[in-house]
Amino acid sequence: MTILRRWLAAIAGAWRGERSEQGLDAELRAYVDLSAADKERAGLSPGEARRQALIELGGIEAVKEQVRRGRHGGAIEEIWRDTRYGVRLLRRTPLFSAVVVLTLALAIGANATVFSVVDALLLRSLPVRAPDELVTVSLQRRDATADGGAVGTLSYRMVRLFAEQLDLFAAAGAYSAFRFDVGAADAVVRVPGAVVTGGFFVALGIEPQVGRLLQPADDAPGAPAVAVISDGFWERRFSRRRDAVGQSLLVGGTSVPIVGVAPRGFAGATVGSPADVTIAAAALPQVSPDQAPLLEPGNFWLRVVARPRPGLSREHLTARLEAVWRRSADGVIAPHWPARRRADVAALVPRLAPGGSGSTYLRQIYRAPLIVLLGIVGTVLLIACANLAGLLLTRAASRQRELALRLALGAGRWRVVRQLLAEGAVLAVAGAALGTALAAAASRVLVALMSTSQLPIAIDVGPDLRVLAFVTAVAGGTTLLFAVVPALVATAIDPRQELATGGRASRSRARWLAALVSGQVALALVLLAGAGLFIRTFDNLRRFDSGFDAEGVLVAELQPRHAHDSTVVPALADLPGVTAVSLATHTPLDGWTWTEAVVPAGQPLPERESTVAIGIGPGYFDTLGLRLLGGRAFGASDAAGGAPVAIVNEAYARRHFSRVDVVGARLASRVGGRPHELTVLGVAANTPLSGFRVDPPPTIYLPIAQLPEVIRVTVLVRGVGGPASLARTIEPTLRAAQPGVAVEIAPLASQVGASIAQERILALLGGGFGLMALLLSTMGLHALIAYGVAQRTHELGVRVALGARGPQILRLVVGEGAWLVAIGVAAGIPAAWLASRWVRTLLFGVTPADPVVAASAVAVLTTAAIVAAWVPARRAARTDPLTALRHE
Amino acid sequence: MEQPDKLDIPPGTLELMILTILARGPLHGYGVSQRLTALSGDEFQVNPGSLFPTLYRLEQDGKLKAEWGASENNRQAKFYRLTPAGRRQLERHRSRWARVTLAIAGVLEGA
Repeated sequence: MTILRRWLAAIAGAWRGERSEQGLDAELRAYVDLSAADKERAGLSPGEARRQALIELGGIEAVKEQVRRGRHGGAIEEIWRDTRYGVRLLRRTPLFSAVVVLTLALAIGANATVFSVVDALLLRSLPVRAPDELVTVSLQRRDATADGGAVGTLSYRMVRLFAEQLDLFAAAGAYSAFRFDVGAADAVVRVPGAVVTGGFFVALGIEPQVGRLLQPADDAPGAPAVAVISDGFWERRFSRRRDAVGQSLLVGGTSVPIVGVAPRGFAGATVGSPADVTIAAAALPQVSPDQAPLLEPGNFWLRVVARPRPGLSREHLTARLEAVWRRSADGVIAPHWPARRRADVAALVPRLAPGGSGSTYLRQIYRAPLIVLLGIVGTVLLIACANLAGLLLTRAASRQRELALRLALGAGRWRVVRQLLAEGAVLAVAGAALGTALAAAASRVLVALMSTSQLPIAIDVGPDLRVLAFVTAVAGGTTLLFAVVPALVATAIDPRQELATGGRASRSRARWLAALVSGQVALALVLLAGAGLFIRTFDNLRRFDSGFDAEGVLVAELQPRHAHDSTVVPALADLPGVTAVSLATHTPLDGWTWTEAVVPAGQPLPERESTVAIGIGPGYFDTLGLRLLGGRAFGASDAAGGAPVAIVNEAYARRHFSRVDVVGARLASRVGGRPHELTVLGVAANTPLSGFRVDPPPTIYLPIAQLPEVIRVTVLVRGVGGPASLARTIEPTLRAAQPGVAVEIAPLASQVGASIAQERILALLGGGFGLMALLLSTMGLHALIAYGVAQRTHELGVRVALGARGPQILRLVVGEGAWLVAIGVAAGIPAAWLASRWVRTLLFGVTPADPVVAASAVAVLTTAAIVAAWVPARRAARTDPLTALRHE
Repeated sequence: MEQPDKLDIPPGTLELMILTILARGPLHGYGVSQRLTALSGDEFQVNPGSLFPTLYRLEQDGKLKAEWGASENNRQAKFYRLTPAGRRQLERHRSRWARVTLAIAGVLEGA
């Protein structure tokens, strides 16, 4: 109770601070008066009495300080006072304050932006019960390293096997992101969703807002399809009406009752892809018959999330799972697989990993670029700190008398340092607040940049507690970095001398200013060189010869049955503006692969499939603009029942025949599970398949009409008149061909673009932040030189008076700047080299030590620096000796 | 102004002495310091850096009440007066101090 009262009194005291401060002043003066009067009575002269009384008091500031500290809550009060004093001072120099706050806002905002995305994508836990307890189970080779050779996704049967281990797991389930066609035939849209097994929601331990979540019974064979919807979907589609539960959604033409709404904030376990509609795996064939084969044992597509029973150690759990797998693997591995492949899978071992933050392919793609981006924005912040430290140092110079006076009045050095730090903190807090607001918008822009048509990202990057904690820590660290040195330098003075001479630039200040500018130059060089490497990388990839011409080609996925349907392609080909149409199971860079065992006839068929296979229709090469190096393309005659034929790419021909012209050669294959021979009709140019960084793999093209089973087919349309109008032209035909299925048309170029999205981001942001670093460091140099010129007006005046000419002065001033830049460049080159080695796996077609990039970075930086030094130097060169000398 | 052979004020006793002095009537800060020196037979000299923080803390705790008034030679000064809470605090301190001195004396004599 008393403690509470004291604290309240302390807070009230802080508010009253001002008044009680004045009272204390008057009281101490009274003390001195009374004491002096006594001493006078004792016989001292009035002057001596007063002097003695003042000595006895020992410095008004010091006593005040002790009184403040002695009060309860004195610390709060002092911080409050320092802060208010700081705000008052900063308001007196609004331009200075605005520049500092804006610089900090940009630098801190950039850090908060990148960190928000890092947080949302890499760090954040799912909003479920005790996410730290959750694990995921993968199968790995026994000799696998931490991240190599793991099979992160499992088959439906494997998931069942692990979920049945009730002595190990309190609950276990699995999930996979999915897209459902929702709505009536004429208004169908594709809705992001998830397919989950029965134990999924139980393992997560979450509660529905309305109705119920999916249960193990929903995932039993023959159970009716039911759906759980997300909070967002509930809001958009049903305006949060509770009677949404019980209504039905038309999913893939099947009526699926909604049984519940997932809790607010939970949108599935696949980060970045919200599950608006969630359906049990066993019900998949009812809503998406094409995808029914996913439930078969040969398809690995589900990611496990499980809650181990309490008290089981991870080692124990892993050992028990291994035993389970050894015992039962044989029963869950696809029975129709070749014995060798079955043995390979059976030899894998189950491994546990934390599962509480869900999963996303985005992490693989963006982890490295995001960490590099954090490094970049961190460096920008360092440059900003050095810049502002220089600014504060020069500002402190103009306040030297004020500080000297305060020190002389008995304020301790630490006291004045703290006051200066408080000013810094006020600036940092203002900058951080503005930066956080900027980041809220900018992180959305960053996510939009990362999002591609192939991998759309829907993620909440709003600042959470972790982001706020990060910003707070950054703001605190920033304050220390940019305010401590100026405060220490500014207070390392002898007040007597300072007040007597009227203040001259201190040597240590000059040295610090120089070091700060060189430091900025060095860091800016690192960022510029890095930006150069990333821009070169992006440019190399963009101009990479893909072997085909993506411009003017649109792609759209069709239902697999259209692979053998002869009506869609001619219908599209008849449309105005369409110049070529074809079908394919895969398109270059669309992220899918299919492999088969195909070798020259006479050689034994390998157990493992190592040849990439693509099923294509007639006209594929024309539509893509892909060159044939020899032979002919497939025609209408290469149909089902015709002689089995194939086209190989150059890489295949070279790998298996050591020559390119292999037309007419015979190949042995097991496509469709049936061993048979193929005749090579033609040889195609290489195209990249899974990205430009990987050499085009040996590839075989097969007539789509001759494939016994097709699970996925894409139509490719080349036309004139721009992608948007072409899309409008072909859309009605595609809709008519497959009623009840959502039609999504995308330019092939966007697939190509998506494959270099991470490089684009690094080039764009690396370049942007490189420019910002350049701007900051040249501003810093300019400010330093301008300050130096102002300080040395007198000296320059004398030089001019003694006969120095303008050009000589110019050389003198620019020369000093050049020295600082030279030191910065000398330090920056090795730093840049180290930094580029760190990012070398992200580069393409350019080495970390690329001399052109390094030279350009140095050239850009030096040119900017010379311009920055030139302006104040010109002013110096025009110094009028009379004005300069009168200035004293 | 050196202060030869002055004793250090034992820690914790300054508060007791201030309360005792103020129990006889209101005084300003300088008066308290003078009275303390006089009563201690010139052995103690409290410096303002300790005196004022203690006065302020006691005031903040409600043991003292301060108001501005005219001093003996007609200067404005801040006078401190004991509140009832201050009086109770003084009693407590006093009996405690009596026990402490008795105890110390006992130890010193019995040794």
